[in-house]
Amino acid sequence: MKIRVISIPVQDQEKALKFYTEKLGFVKKIDVPLSEDSRWLTVVSPEEQDGPEVLLEPSPLHFEPAKVYQKALFDAGIPYTQFNVEDVQKEYERLIKLGVEFSVKPTEMGTVKIAVFNDTCGNNIQIVQML
Amino acid sequence: MRCCNCKMIFDMSNMNIYLKEITRIKNKCFFNQGQLDTVIGTRHFINNNYDKQLNLDLLSHLRFTSKFHLIRLYKRYYGQTPGQYLIDRRLEKAKELLKEGQSVTETCFDIGFESPSSFSTLFKSKFGLTPTEFQKRAIFTKSDKEEF
Repeated sequence: MKIRVISIPVQDQEKALKFYTEKLGFVKKIDVPLSEDSRWLTVVSPEEQDGPEVLLEPSPLHFEPAKVYQKALFDAGIPYTQFNVEDVQKEYERLIKLGVEFSVKPTEMGTVKIAVFNDTCGNNIQIVQML
Repeated sequence: MRCCNCKMIFDMSNMNIYLKEITRIKNKCFFNQGQLDTVIGTRHFINNNYDKQLNLDLLSHLRFTSKFHLIRLYKRYYGQTPGQYLIDRRLEKAKELLKEGQSVTETCFDIGFESPSSFSTLFKSKFGLTPTEFQKRAIFTKSDKEEF
């Protein structure tokens, strides 16, 4: 068994693609239409294009429990998932310049440094640096 | 609320649930700055010297602690021993060098291993491919991409 894809529920796939590629710097890998309003849309890290893919999956807007779950996580400030970076402070400064909103500024937590931002598609995302 | 590490005072009332929780965990689990300095310092030393002959005697001596205490602390904060981390660090570097086309033997010595055969065995147990197989696949994938 291998981990090839992790999914993030996004409220608007086109908006998410722009955010994850233009702001975060990921690269689009697969973009296949599934139905009239959804695509199998994945992005990868530019340094690891054969590594795990992030699936920007449409939020199940018509399934109430999932909608409630995503909103509750977001309102509580809890990250949906996290990405590793070399330097959280640098990444924070780069993303702030691009207009990204952070709910947790770079903070040391023992042996890691973390920060949390809004992906504009319904999720908080955490970036982590191992100290 | 006062955080023991940084002596900052947090106003919890403006925090969301996650921020409150990480502040709570930080105060409860990461208050011992001396221990944190020891393990973080050890990790940085390994990152900068993984290609040299490192052993626990040296690592513990550098941090003025006993070998067993260092292993316990390191495992508590990073979830693996310094020895396991050193192997991971070396093997990650090996992957980079192999992708660049460096020979298996040269790679083995460059990352601090002494025996190419034990390096190959370890590499295979970690990644499921021998260094030679890994290199062939990496070079094939690269040329495949360039062709298209």
